[in-house]
Amino acid sequence: MARAVFWRSGAATGVAPRLAHLDRDRPLVEAALADPTRFDALYRRYLAPVYNFAYYELGDHHAAEDATERTFLAALANLVRFRERARPADGEGASTFKVWLFRIARNVIANERRSSRRRPTVALDDAAALADPLDVERDAGRRIEAAAAWRAVGRLPEDRRRAVVLRFVDELSTAEIAGVLGRSEGAVRVLIHRALRAVARDLGSQRGPTAR
Amino acid sequence: MTHLGREAAEVEALVTDVYLDALLAGAERAARPRDPRAIVDAAVRLASSRLTRDLPRFHPSFRFEERLALRLAERAASMRLPAAAGAEGVVVPLLSRHPAPDPAAGDEVDAALEPASERAARGRAVARPILLGGAVAASALSLAGAAFVAWRRNRGAASPMARAARAAHAARASRILRPTPGRGGPA
Repeated sequence: MARAVFWRSGAATGVAPRLAHLDRDRPLVEAALADPTRFDALYRRYLAPVYNFAYYELGDHHAAEDATERTFLAALANLVRFRERARPADGEGASTFKVWLFRIARNVIANERRSSRRRPTVALDDAAALADPLDVERDAGRRIEAAAAWRAVGRLPEDRRRAVVLRFVDELSTAEIAGVLGRSEGAVRVLIHRALRAVARDLGSQRGPTAR
Repeated sequence: MTHLGREAAEVEALVTDVYLDALLAGAERAARPRDPRAIVDAAVRLASSRLTRDLPRFHPSFRFEERLALRLAERAASMRLPAAAGAEGVVVPLLSRHPAPDPAAGDEVDAALEPASERAARGRAVARPILLGGAVAASALSLAGAAFVAWRRNRGAASPMARAARAAHAARASRILRPTPGRGGPA
């Protein structure tokens, strides 16, 4: 749980103290700053979320692994430059380290996309059919529904899809998504709301033909 | 879109956001708002529950996880070496005209997150941390010590005691060098 404390920002310049929410990652970040080998705890905590984000963005396990690896290496190398920038607006429990890490991931993924333009890519729809984790699910009905949800998300425009994945898969708060995407919270809310409407329409139209 | 229409969309999005917060926290029942004006659209509710339930969460392979953990540990160990050489050293930012690029997004994202005062300060001096104290200071002191000893050896002392010691040393040296009759020397 986040603790709220006062800290002095720019004391030398006479800026008034402001309220900051210390996120739950602060002890781990401080430990890693004091001893880089203790970065492992942060790595274990965020490996799956970062990998999920990369996989939903890139639609390929190998590319997602590459992006995940580059994200964590960059985070470790630049941890000394990480500054907690939590604001009251970020809400309780917001992790500025998590936002910082996902922003690195977003940039790494963007670079990966740029560099892979020359290479053939697997579309998210095709990737859904290849995804191993779904194969362990024996219930065929559930698999069909999962594939439909995946397809609906895959058809969303890039910014809406990214916001939906961060919200539903990685379970980031609106404030955190705003930090990752560099948008206002209001803009992110509208983005997700519109995405949900589009997904609802898509799922409805998918259900229509099968019902007939 | 008109101003009123935009406001209505924002309110609707806000209500949906509150609903999602509760839904993702696992409190679907509590997510159903009591205020009839704040009822989330049925289609949006259905889409939300479908995405919450159906979007799979992936985990990379164990082999990948451990390989990357090992690589990070190696990198971390190499980063720890400078500190071990001078544990009392501190890492301070070195002024640079061309700061290293921030891996966490471009400037436009930073600008959105960063207060103006911090942004201005960041523009003045940033990046390129350097280890000060510790190994650097110890090396500098060693060099300074060696230089001081060399200087003292070459410098003529001015004190009477030093003059006496130098005279005694010179007399002893000349005695040793002077050939003693009957104990060698040129014939």
